[in-house]
Amino acid sequence: MIATIAQWRGFKAATWLGWEISSNWTRPLMFLIYSVLRPISAAFILVVMYRVISGRAPGTTDYLAFLVSGVAFWSFVQYGFAGLSNGMAEDRGEYRMLKYVYTSPVDFYLYLFGRGLAQLASAVASALIVLVVATIALSLPIDPLRVNYPLLVVGSVLALAAVIGMAMAYGFLQLQAVDAHGYGELGASVLYVISGAIFPITVLPGILATIASLSPLVYWMELIRRSLLGSHAIRMFPTLSDADVLLRLVVTTVATLLLAHLVFSWADRRARRRGLIDMESNW
Amino acid sequence: MDIAVETRALRRVYKTRSQEVVALDGVDLRIGRGERFGVLGPNGAGKTTLIKILVTLLLPSSGAAFVDGLDVVTQFRELRHRIAMVSGGENVGFGMLKVKEQLWMFSQFYGMPSNPAKRRIAELLERLGLSDAADRRVSGLSSGMRQKMNLIRGLITNPRILFLDEPTVALDVGAARDVRDEVRRWMAEDPTRTVILTTHYMMEADELCDRVAIVNRGRIVAQGTPSELKQQVQQNAIVDIQLSPGRRLLDALREVDGVAGASVAEQDGIDRFTLLLSSDAALGGVMRIVEGSGREIRGLQKREPTLEDAFVKLVGRGMAEEEQG
Repeated sequence: MIATIAQWRGFKAATWLGWEISSNWTRPLMFLIYSVLRPISAAFILVVMYRVISGRAPGTTDYLAFLVSGVAFWSFVQYGFAGLSNGMAEDRGEYRMLKYVYTSPVDFYLYLFGRGLAQLASAVASALIVLVVATIALSLPIDPLRVNYPLLVVGSVLALAAVIGMAMAYGFLQLQAVDAHGYGELGASVLYVISGAIFPITVLPGILATIASLSPLVYWMELIRRSLLGSHAIRMFPTLSDADVLLRLVVTTVATLLLAHLVFSWADRRARRRGLIDMESNW
Repeated sequence: MDIAVETRALRRVYKTRSQEVVALDGVDLRIGRGERFGVLGPNGAGKTTLIKILVTLLLPSSGAAFVDGLDVVTQFRELRHRIAMVSGGENVGFGMLKVKEQLWMFSQFYGMPSNPAKRRIAELLERLGLSDAADRRVSGLSSGMRQKMNLIRGLITNPRILFLDEPTVALDVGAARDVRDEVRRWMAEDPTRTVILTTHYMMEADELCDRVAIVNRGRIVAQGTPSELKQQVQQNAIVDIQLSPGRRLLDALREVDGVAGASVAEQDGIDRFTLLLSSDAALGGVMRIVEGSGREIRGLQKREPTLEDAFVKLVGRGMAEEEQG
């Protein structure tokens, strides 16, 4: 019990640190404006591009909803993955404090999770902002009273666990490199392509489509659209029921977490063997 | 002796694509609880590698190491509750945090209740003269203040064993003295506390440590109390000669009968030679070499031995020479 309380204190402090790092580069008002404008800008760039290409042709609203819902929830992956995985390299290269955190008793998983939690919280806000603004501005077929919230929440919690697992393992892999800057965003971008966020994975070339089908993020995206858009959702897996998609999400999430744990443990051991935790690196 | 740290045939090799560097080569150490133990040696001797292994940051290539009875390789999680490390000469810290915030955060990583931690931090800030800087951002601290803050981070949780890696390097005289004083005071509060200190400052090791191990090229060449080590050169006459610049003399001086060791360091345009003579009679041969070189004698003193002299006798060369390879 005492050990649990001690770890809880460490987790809270890591969360506070993550918030300070992500927010205190400017005044609170500016940070608030930035936090609102950034996701909306990113989403509307895509919307405008789509509008220009489709020319407001009839029957394009459902795909617009597909696009906006994918982009809105993608911020979970973008901020969460990059925020979590960059934390380690940032602590090592920029602040040079990783070795002190690493040799402290706080569980390293908990520290990294707390350190990246502020980014995940920003992502939740970002997703909500984009959905609300886009629904109103673009008249998307999202009815708050008809959303399947249990499916949305369960799917999102599972996907979040998968993203956190992937990001932690990827973060430790980043430590193997001397120049680690930007790798977090790179990883998030790769996931973006194979997650079905902006187009169905069926349009991907064969091998990429196969890889994408092993990712929990694809099934999460599918569940988000089904729960938000109901019958208006363009389905990537039309032959699968909601329960089937959820089952696939569970299986791929468990597999991802197991794989992430193995990679994390291997990379942790390798980092200690090669002296990477306090290695001089470029950030 | 109640053992705080023990290493057995500890070896660490760094491998790159082109070469292997042996940083530690069969180090055997036994450090008692309550000791202030110094690891003394030139830069590159393996001191920091030893500390990194003991604080669970680095795995040894072979051999074993135990800290507070725990294996650093397999029991590292439990061990981390009992130790803390402070390194010197680093420009580190979460720059956007205030000094008291960074210290509080680390107290939380060690699981301390928040209010006692804040009281402890205030007490240590006061003791190290940093109270006025408590609300300043870490990024705005001078190197001396930052190092004091780092020391406080190591002391907040009262670890059973504190590792200090070159804690006063690059500090001015006053800040270095404050750091040493605080280490002494912290040790005096509880006789079971242990400090392992690496340094290449002979005076610091002499002044601060109960026992010292002299490390060179990954090996321990001698260990004992500072006076025991100095006794190794007690039978020698120690002579310092300051000469004007000129042609290289060191090798010739080492060849003189009765010269047990010699080193040189350049300072303010003057070459300062230290000679260990097996008897005063050897001075005649030395003076003949000096006169033959045409270099002007700026000073000559006979003095009591220091740890630097012990190092020269044990290794055959001075620390500065070892650092230059």
